[in-house]
Amino acid sequence: MGYNDKLIAGFAALAITIHLLESALPSPIPGIKPGLANLVTLYVLIRHGWSLAANVTLIRVIAASLLLGSFLSPTFAMSLAGAIASLTVLGIAWHCPGKPFGPVGLSILAAMAHISAQVVTAYLLFIPHTSLFTLLPILLTAALISGTLGGILVSKILERVNSPINT
Amino acid sequence: MIRSGITSLFTTADKILFIFSFVAIISSYSYFWQSTPANYAIVKSSQQDPLLINLDEAKVHQIKGSLGISTLEVKDGKIRFTTSPCRNKICIQSGWHNHGGDVTACLPNLISVQLSSKQSKANYDAIIF
Repeated sequence: MGYNDKLIAGFAALAITIHLLESALPSPIPGIKPGLANLVTLYVLIRHGWSLAANVTLIRVIAASLLLGSFLSPTFAMSLAGAIASLTVLGIAWHCPGKPFGPVGLSILAAMAHISAQVVTAYLLFIPHTSLFTLLPILLTAALISGTLGGILVSKILERVNSPINT
Repeated sequence: MIRSGITSLFTTADKILFIFSFVAIISSYSYFWQSTPANYAIVKSSQQDPLLINLDEAKVHQIKGSLGISTLEVKDGKIRFTTSPCRNKICIQSGWHNHGGDVTACLPNLISVQLSSKQSKANYDAIIF
């Protein structure tokens, strides 16, 4: 077991735990969640690169769905679609020349890609009614807020981890 | 101090992205929340086969319901109940309908009218489990 495998296992375990805890939180509006498990993805991306982040996220989505009993259900399809979309956008943004985006920008991009992909998936597979897109502005607003807050949180965590006191 | 602390977490690209997203989301409200006029109405009744009505064609339709005949009038891309053998006449008082996704009905007579902005290709309304 290589060093990267251990990192993936550890971070995936953390992400699964957060995902499970978050699924127990009541949601004010269907579809709106803080997306705390995605903070792990963002942290791993910044510290260890995109391929580890992708591994951690996909393991998290599959393992959490097995534990919640939603494997291969619509919930799982939406979760996977969101994860793939946000990983794709993060991959593009992360490899932009000069790395212009910080944690906050990356987090906003990931959150918006995540929710957009989920709405499109829901429309294509489960609720084929154009009225579904009425929800999109509200969900995007929530994604912008949660993405910004998530990015700020990850910045703060990175500051702590990188500060000499903790090393 | 706290304020400057938080803005320092944003790179220039982050700030541009935030402002761009904010503006895009605000404009998406006006884009997604405008209602589109309907082209078709699907009339379902307990007493006859479902009927697809073209709203561009001014016509009066007689629909047989469980209490008797209800009359639907189509004019200028809009539809309304004009007569119905029900007691409260809620269907008639609800007036003209022309927005895609609107639904009107005469419940006592078991007739529903669903407006659609295009012919739906889907075989189901939604899947939940």
